[in-house]
This record gives sequence, C-alpha cells and structure tokens, in this order.
Amino acid sequence: MLVVSNIDLTTDLPTMKPSTFLESSIKDFTLNINNDYRYLKTGYYVSLHAEILGNQVIPSSENIIDAYRTPILLLRASKAGIPTTPYLVTGSVKQIISEFNFPVVIFAVNPFSYNGFKTAKNRSALYRAVKSLGMNYKFDVCAQPLRGEMVSLKSIFGRCELNGDAGKISKEVYDVFKIPICKLHIQNVEGKAYLCGFQPLENEAVNPRDLETISTEISEISKNGEKLVG
Amino acid sequence: MVKNSLASIACFVEKYNFTDPAEADALQNFKTTAETMGHKFDFMFRENLLAIPKYDAIFIRATTDPLFTAYIVSKTAWEMGLKVVDDPKSIQICGNKIHLYALFKKYNVPRIPTVFINKDELHHKQILDIFKTFGRPVVVKAPYTSFSRYVEKAACETSFRDVAKRFFRKSDILVVQKFMPTTFDWRVGVLNGEVLYVCKYMVPKGRWKHGAKRRGKPSFIWGRTISLKRENAPMKLKETALKACKIVGCGLYGVDIKEIDGDYVVVEVNDNPSIYAGYEDLRNKDLYSKIIAYLAD
Repeated sequence: MLVVSNIDLTTDLPTMKPSTFLESSIKDFTLNINNDYRYLKTGYYVSLHAEILGNQVIPSSENIIDAYRTPILLLRASKAGIPTTPYLVTGSVKQIISEFNFPVVIFAVNPFSYNGFKTAKNRSALYRAVKSLGMNYKFDVCAQPLRGEMVSLKSIFGRCELNGDAGKISKEVYDVFKIPICKLHIQNVEGKAYLCGFQPLENEAVNPRDLETISTEISEISKNGEKLVG
Repeated sequence: MVKNSLASIACFVEKYNFTDPAEADALQNFKTTAETMGHKFDFMFRENLLAIPKYDAIFIRATTDPLFTAYIVSKTAWEMGLKVVDDPKSIQICGNKIHLYALFKKYNVPRIPTVFINKDELHHKQILDIFKTFGRPVVVKAPYTSFSRYVEKAACETSFRDVAKRFFRKSDILVVQKFMPTTFDWRVGVLNGEVLYVCKYMVPKGRWKHGAKRRGKPSFIWGRTISLKRENAPMKLKETALKACKIVGCGLYGVDIKEIDGDYVVVEVNDNPSIYAGYEDLRNKDLYSKIIAYLAD
C-alpha cells in the first residue's frame, strides 16, 4: 500500500509527498491523506493520478467532486439512508421563501466558495446570504430549512468526537464517500442529527490525537487493503 | 423510465444560451425536432430543478464544469436513473484538461506534445527545460478552459510566470503544450461512437485561436465555421476523433483536431459541444434528430 500525504504522519509505513507521487508512476493501492481534497487542488489530483495509473485509491476522484457539491452530497447520502434535510438548489430568494419557513441555512454552490454556511432568520438576511454565497446572484445556492441547531464536527476516517446520531452520520458519510479527513456540518433537531454540508479541514485543525487516529486507520487499511475501497 | 415513444425530455439551459440568435435557433430546432418525433421537450432553467424526476431524459446545453450547476443537474439525473447528455463522467473528464491529456497519454491518442506543471514545482530550470523541449512560444492552459478562454501563449519566463500565476489561483496543476499554429482546427461532432458532423473552425487573421479576445476589450472575435458533409471528411480524421472519444464515454462530444503535414493530432475532446444553427448543422441537418433519438432511446 502506498500512502500519499501532505500531513506529517506518525505512521511507520512509508509515506510520499503529493508532489513526488504526481511525478511517479507507482502502481499500488493508494491511500490519499490530505486535509483538503477540493476539486482542482492537489488532494484531488493525487486521487486522479492514482486512477489514471490504474491504482485503486481512497478517496476516488468522483467521490471527491460529489462530496464537496452540497446537493449531490445530500442526494447520495439520502440514497444511502443517511438522515438529511430537504434542500433546494436555486438562485431565487422567492423560491426559497415559497418552499421553506424561516429560519433557513444557505450553502454556496459556486466554483469559488467552500467554507461554511450562512443562516437567515428573515427575508432581508436571506437576500444578503443568497447575494453573498451566490456571488451577486450569478450562481445558485443550496437552501435547507433550519429546524434545530447547526453543529460542525471534524471527521477522521469517519470518527468524530461526538457520540450518538452525529457520530453515526460521520461514520456513514465515510462509508459512502471514503473521504478520510473533512469537516461535516450537521443539524441537531430534537435529539436527531441530519447531514447538511461538507468542507475541507484546515491543516492547523489536525491535532496529535487526530494523527494517532490516522496512523491507526492506515495500519487497519494496510491489513485489509483494497477490500475497504467502496 | 424511458419509453420507446413519447419520451419526456428536459433541456437544461441558462439565459445566456439564448443571447446568440444562432444558438437560440438551434435550441428551437431541437424542440421542434423532438416534438415532430412525438416527444415532449421542455426548456429547464435553474429555477425548475425540482422537476428533474418528472422527465425521462436530460439534455444539458448550459456550460458544463464539475463546479457549475450543470454538473449538479447531470449527477442528480444520473443518480435518479435518467438518460443524461452530458453524463457526469464526461463532464468530469472533459471539464479538466489534466484528466483528459493523462487519458490521451495512457491510451496513446495522437496529441499535441504536453507536460503538466505543479504549483509547488515551478522553478527557473523547469521553465527553461520546457522552452528547450517545445521551443518558444509555448501554450499555457488552465485545466478548466472552454471557449478558447484561459489559454495563453508565453514566449519568455516572465510571461510564463505571469500566466501561470493567474491560472494557479484556481488549479494546482496546469497544462503546457507545444505551440502548433494552423489556419483552422477540425471540429468533429461525435454521438455514441458515431460521427455526427464535421466542421473547420477557422482562426481569425493575425490570431492563433478560433476565438480570440479583442485587444483591450472583454469581447471575443470568432473565426468562420466551414461545414462539411460528414461523408466527405477524411476517414483518418474521423477515426482519430472516434478513438479520442472512446476513452471518454459514449455521449455527445466535439473533438478539436489539428492537421499537421497530413497527420491528425487531437487538441481536446469537449463535452457539451457548441451547436449553432447555420454552422455545425449546415451540411448535416439530421444531427438534431439523431441527438433526440439517442436521448429518447
């Protein structure tokens, strides 16, 4: 197994820097560890390069694109049985108001914004959110009803610091998309959790405990190899 | 579920698809052809995406890219089991020239000499090596290029770094190619492994791309389009186009090919190819019915 990582890992297994791997033609099962897999960024190209070489790889380039596109994340998660809230892809404030009651949560669906979400409790806040995340109404947004409390959590190979529903969602999202490191946005509604969004994790947010988790998971995957590829 | 007759087709478009009368006419031709064939054909805008499950097939005419709404439409329809042109895999491959050229190399498609440059590995020596290998100028492409945008020439290290710096803002890897000027590029339209139409996209005088930015202005100047009957196009050209499409998928593609000393080299395979009334369809009027039949099949 080949581990390609932009993070300094504590594993005993040999690891390779993304730039070195991208110049190589090593044929082996590839585990791509990166805090940021966004489309067009190095983390994406590592998985793509592995696929072009014919390697099995975690995560796949297709899963990367889908996980970062909120409507596709929610569609595929929902098909896999993960609880999600209803969503609407639109650039129209009127359409959001006609579909959902306030408050609503708005995620960007454009090529430039990846970080976070905005909540709107009234019409003027919604206009501001749609204008900002839709880049002056040029792009669509993904609107979801806000029925509870938004929680953001760090997910490392599907493990997170929260138990219960949120922990279950973290694991299930990993089972579907196989993105080793990410931040998930979840909505807690009357004790039940719903998946809302996905984004990269800042490099500084990876702490020594996360590095231990990553090392443990790498060892596990190296034992089971390709069987773990979804 | 797609039926043999009376398929319900949604054509995903944006407002800009109707700004050029030739494109608006082509879209109307698709609608008229579909309805003549007994199918339902509706234009679907961004505000109507909730209606996707009501259709049998989705035909995307808005600009595609994995980061655009068109990808969300394509993938949503695909996940729901609808027939889709362009399918999400084709958008993923054609929307990223790194992906496309890596596949060309893997499957030995005749192509323009190409290297990739990584944001973290851009050194003085690497730039000199590129000029030594390809000569000057070279062509620097952002992976997300479309309609001749984000493709620029660089003849010295300063201009190379200037272009690369701008394109690296969005992508960590760029494409660099040998500059191979020609008076036209062939455009071969392909659907499901068959040639649909053949054109010559002429390069405007004094320019080096079919679409070139007017100096000091945001608008573009486009070269003429000369349409041929597909039967009259060179066989080797058509074979080269089909070989290139085979590695992408079996949807609708526009293959750009350069003819150099009797050989054909592929510039790129585009999903979502331009179809303008009086241009691509001039000598191959049946392209509308063939695309509709494919969607309804």
